[in-house]
Amino acid sequence: MNIEDVFSSRLRMKILKILMQVGELNVSEIARRLGVNYKTTNKHLEVFEDEGMVKHKVFGRIRLYRLNESSPKVKAVENLIEVWEHANKQIDN
Amino acid sequence: MSYRSIFKDETKLDINYVPYRLPHRDRELRLLMEFFSFLLRAPEKMTQRVMITGDVGTGKTALSQRFGANITSEANKRGTNLRYIHINCREYRGSLFLILHHIVSIFHPNFPRRGYSAEELLGILLQVLDEQRAHIILTLDEFESLVNREGSEAVYKLTRLQEIRLNKPQRISLICILRSLKVIEQLDASARSTLQSNIIHLDTYYRQQLMDILNNRVSLAFKPLTVPEDTVSLTAELAFSEGGNARFGIELLWRAGKYADAEDLDTVTPECVRKAASSIYAVMRKSDVALLRLHEKLFLLAIARFFKESEKAYASLTEAEQDYAVVCEEFDVQPHSHTQLWKYLHTLSAIGILKTEVSATGSRGRSTLISLPRIPAYELEKELSILLRKEKLGRL
Repeated sequence: MNIEDVFSSRLRMKILKILMQVGELNVSEIARRLGVNYKTTNKHLEVFEDEGMVKHKVFGRIRLYRLNESSPKVKAVENLIEVWEHANKQIDN
Repeated sequence: MSYRSIFKDETKLDINYVPYRLPHRDRELRLLMEFFSFLLRAPEKMTQRVMITGDVGTGKTALSQRFGANITSEANKRGTNLRYIHINCREYRGSLFLILHHIVSIFHPNFPRRGYSAEELLGILLQVLDEQRAHIILTLDEFESLVNREGSEAVYKLTRLQEIRLNKPQRISLICILRSLKVIEQLDASARSTLQSNIIHLDTYYRQQLMDILNNRVSLAFKPLTVPEDTVSLTAELAFSEGGNARFGIELLWRAGKYADAEDLDTVTPECVRKAASSIYAVMRKSDVALLRLHEKLFLLAIARFFKESEKAYASLTEAEQDYAVVCEEFDVQPHSHTQLWKYLHTLSAIGILKTEVSATGSRGRSTLISLPRIPAYELEKELSILLRKEKLGRL
C-alpha cells in the first residue's frame, strides 16, 4: 500500500486515530464510532492487517483489533498524528 | 478565612478504605492465607473455594480485600501473575453475564457487551487468563444476589468450570461473601456441594472489639488528642446496639467529626456523636416524650442537661439524681424517691430514649451508668422544656 492510499482516505485515518486513542476495539464498535457500516470498516481493517499495521485477537465470535505497535509504519503514523495535533492545539491557544 | 479541621485524613474513614491492620480478624486472615497458600507455591495445580459469612458490619469485605492485597503482593514478588478481583454482585444486579463482562473488561477494557452468552463469556475469560498466564481470586460479595437471580446453574458453572478443561492450568479461585448460609439451601445438591467445603464465619463484634477498631481508625483519621475516649466509647456503644456493626460505627465517627468541624470545635465530643446519630437514625419521636409522666419528663430533662453541660458520654444514677433534684426545685415539685427514679430509668430505657448499663469498675460494688446515645442533648432539653413549661402553666 502506498502512503497516499492511507492519507487520501478520511476513513482509514480515522480508524488509525480511534485505535490510537482507545487501544482495542471490535469491528462493530469502530463502525459505530465512525458512523459507517460494518462491511466498509471490516474491509479497511483487512487492508491494514495485510500491511501488518493492525492485528486482531479472536474471542469466540468477537474480533478485537489493535494497532501493531511493532510496525514501523504504525510508529510513523502515530508520530505524525501526535505532532500534528500538538501543533493544532498550539495554534488554537 | 482559614479553615481548620480535626481530621488528619478523613479518607481513612471511607467505606472503601481497607486498613492495613484488621483488629480482631487476625485469625480469619491467617485462615484465608492457609486456604490459598497453594497460589504461592503451585498456582496452576489447583483452585480454591471459600465462603465468608457474617452479619452486616462484621468485616467480611474488609477481611477479603485485605487478604487479596496481601496475597497478590506476595504472589507478584514470586513472579506469579495473580489478580484479586472483588465484585459486589448487587451492583451487577446479580447477573452472571454482567459480572463476567466486568472481569473480562479488566483485561480488555472495550470488550463488546453484546453478541455472546454468559457461558461463552466464561470461556473467553479462561482464554484471556491462559494467554496472560494469569490467575484470579474472584470475590463475589453479596453472593445472595447472584444466587437469587441465577440459581444453581450459575454457581455450578463457576465452580465446575475446571472440569471441562482437563489437564489445563487452573485459573479461577472463588471467595463468596454472604450474610448466612440460608441462601445456599436454595441451590441444588451438586451446586451446594461445590461450595460448602471451606466456611469462615465472622462473629459480630463485642463492644470492646468495636472500641479497638474505632480507636485504630481514630489514630489514622484524626489529629492527635481530638477524639476523647468517651466519644469512642459512645460510638462503640451505638455500633454495638446496631448489631455489632463496625461500619456503622466508623461512619458515625466520620459524621461526628464533620459536626465538630462545622462547629469549629477542638475535639469530637459525645454530643457530636449524638448529633451524628440522630442524623442517621429516625429523628426523636416527639410523641414518645410528650406521653411521659411529669416526673419521667423532669428526670429526663435533668439527664439531658447533664449531657448538654458536660462532655461525658455516661452519667451515673447519682449524678442524674442530683440534677433531677435541681430541676424539681426549678419546677416547684417534690422530688420522687430513688426507687421511683430507678423505675423511670427502666421506662426511658425501654422506650429507647436512654440506655443503661451496669458498671462493675468501682471497688464498692456496681453502679448504673446512663447514656443518651441517639438524641442530641440540646434537642431533648429544648423539647422537654417546652412541654414542662406548658404543663406548669396548666397546673397554675
